[in-house]
Amino acid sequence: MINLIRRDLIIQKFQLYVFIPCILFFIFFGSHLSAFFIFVFAGFFIPINAYSYDEKAETNILLNSLPYTRTQIIASRYIGAIFYMTVSIGIAVLLFYVFNRPFTWADIAIGVGITLTMFAFAFPLFYLLKPGHIGTAVTIGFILLVILMGPVITFFEEYLTPAVNFLSSVSTSLLYLSSVGVITVLYAASWLISQVIYQRKAF
Amino acid sequence: MGMENVIELRGVSKALKAFTIDNMNLQIKQGYVTGFIGANGAGKSTTMKLIMNLLQPDKGKVSVFGLDYANHEKTIKDRIGFVYDSNIFYESLNLKDISRIVAPAYKHWDDKQFKFYVKQFELPLNKAIKKFSKGMQMKASIAIALSHDAELIIMDEPTAGLDPTSRRELLDIFQEVMVDGKRTILFSTHITSDLERIADYIVLIDEGQILFDKPVYELQEQYAIVKGSTELLDADTEAYFIKIERSPNGFQALTKDVAKVKEVFGEHAVIEEASLEEIMFYMKGADHPYD
Amino acid sequence: MQIIISNSSKEPIYEQILKQIQTAILSGELAEGDALPSIRQLAKDLKISVITTKRAYEELEKAGFIYSIVGKGSFIAEQNLDVIREKKLKVIEEQLSAVISNSKEIGLPYEELQELLKLLYEE
Repeated sequence: MINLIRRDLIIQKFQLYVFIPCILFFIFFGSHLSAFFIFVFAGFFIPINAYSYDEKAETNILLNSLPYTRTQIIASRYIGAIFYMTVSIGIAVLLFYVFNRPFTWADIAIGVGITLTMFAFAFPLFYLLKPGHIGTAVTIGFILLVILMGPVITFFEEYLTPAVNFLSSVSTSLLYLSSVGVITVLYAASWLISQVIYQRKAF
Repeated sequence: MGMENVIELRGVSKALKAFTIDNMNLQIKQGYVTGFIGANGAGKSTTMKLIMNLLQPDKGKVSVFGLDYANHEKTIKDRIGFVYDSNIFYESLNLKDISRIVAPAYKHWDDKQFKFYVKQFELPLNKAIKKFSKGMQMKASIAIALSHDAELIIMDEPTAGLDPTSRRELLDIFQEVMVDGKRTILFSTHITSDLERIADYIVLIDEGQILFDKPVYELQEQYAIVKGSTELLDADTEAYFIKIERSPNGFQALTKDVAKVKEVFGEHAVIEEASLEEIMFYMKGADHPYD
Repeated sequence: MQIIISNSSKEPIYEQILKQIQTAILSGELAEGDALPSIRQLAKDLKISVITTKRAYEELEKAGFIYSIVGKGSFIAEQNLDVIREKKLKVIEEQLSAVISNSKEIGLPYEELQELLKLLYEE
């Protein structure tokens, strides 16, 4: 299992060199962007990129011919995503700190929450899609994200803040706790669905 | 259980879009090289995929080393070396990185052995796989398949894309690997001359059906190409042939009962040993392939 | 001893192996207790399939020329050369009888047959 997770590092050597400059670019030139958005980008980058390698039928033939079970392959994807997200956001936080860009714990929490929610929706969808379409799906998704980013942020500012205010008036810890609960359930359900899809897949 | 059969397919059915395997039974014997032949699209790759559990049967049972995939997938695959007809390794990686990904998956990875084959095949360790020729990709795949002490080596068209010198070199290596008697090779190919040299058993598949599974000497002894005047043919004698080709100059046919044909036709017909290629050709669309 | 296989011969490969080992035994080149190469090693060396050499060894064993010990290999058995010679002579007699009856059929005189035999023998 650890071997499967480690594999993501080996196949992404080149992308790893791009990762830090990308985050730095956002820190310096993305001052209009909320910190949580950069955290989402950081957390999303490596796992999704790793995934784009796995979409190939050939890669699945390789993985399934090696002594791994399909359950392990899916588990490595979900556990690996959390691991790489944590490391990536950690690095981003460090860079924020080094270059003196302000951020809050709430930014990190929201960043992690959104990233995990995106994984939860993206992974099963990708396992459902035919090989060769995931790259396209990610590109379209990313372009949509960039186009919609303005309105989305406005949306967050207009509606989320009052909502958060409302919820925080109830109890901050309860809010965090329930978010953690919802995201955990979402992620677990996604894992289960991916496993069911993958178990029956033919290569 | 007895380990005489390394692979066993019992009543396996699988319906794919363009193609069906219906109630297939197949046994691959331990310690031997089995050649798996058939035209393109006959079902060789599908059968291989069923054996590797890349496809799961709709019905029937697949067992490898006497174990089933539902409970022993890792144990089984740890003991299999595989070579597919197209490259399955990350194209942008070099062979060194690929071995770093593959090696830890196996209990008995032998890096010395791997380096030995890399050297023997003259493969570069630091060049991206996508820059390899087809033959080099195949050799890389074979080097990996032979470097973890696999007991079963499954190869789908391993000699396709190799020049004659490399093919001979590979056949030598396969024979070398077979000397200790612990290993089994299942080897699909349409280059039948490769099999004439090393295969112990031949399995012929057509349209998803196993037409036969026989030791090579049985093929050589029972099958023959018979040539003669069409006057020799009548309802009775035609029954000795699997398929008959007629021309104004006479007929050519495949028989699986040389003894009978010799007895009946004697000196009136020319009887020649049938090559695998000829057997394959005549069995396809045979008049009566099954007894 | 060396074994030379012809792929273009009409004779099946296992029979070629069988005959060459038999000849080596009859000529004394291989003596009782001598080890033969393992079935798999021989297959590899001759670049032929394992099952073919296995068949040759099995036939040799059946005919009493060799014996096998599991895990050790195959060895030349004790040969009763007189018995083997006797058997061979009997085969030669039968074959010669066939030659004679064929010769009589076409009225070939004894002298000419003898001449032919001499010619072939010295070839």
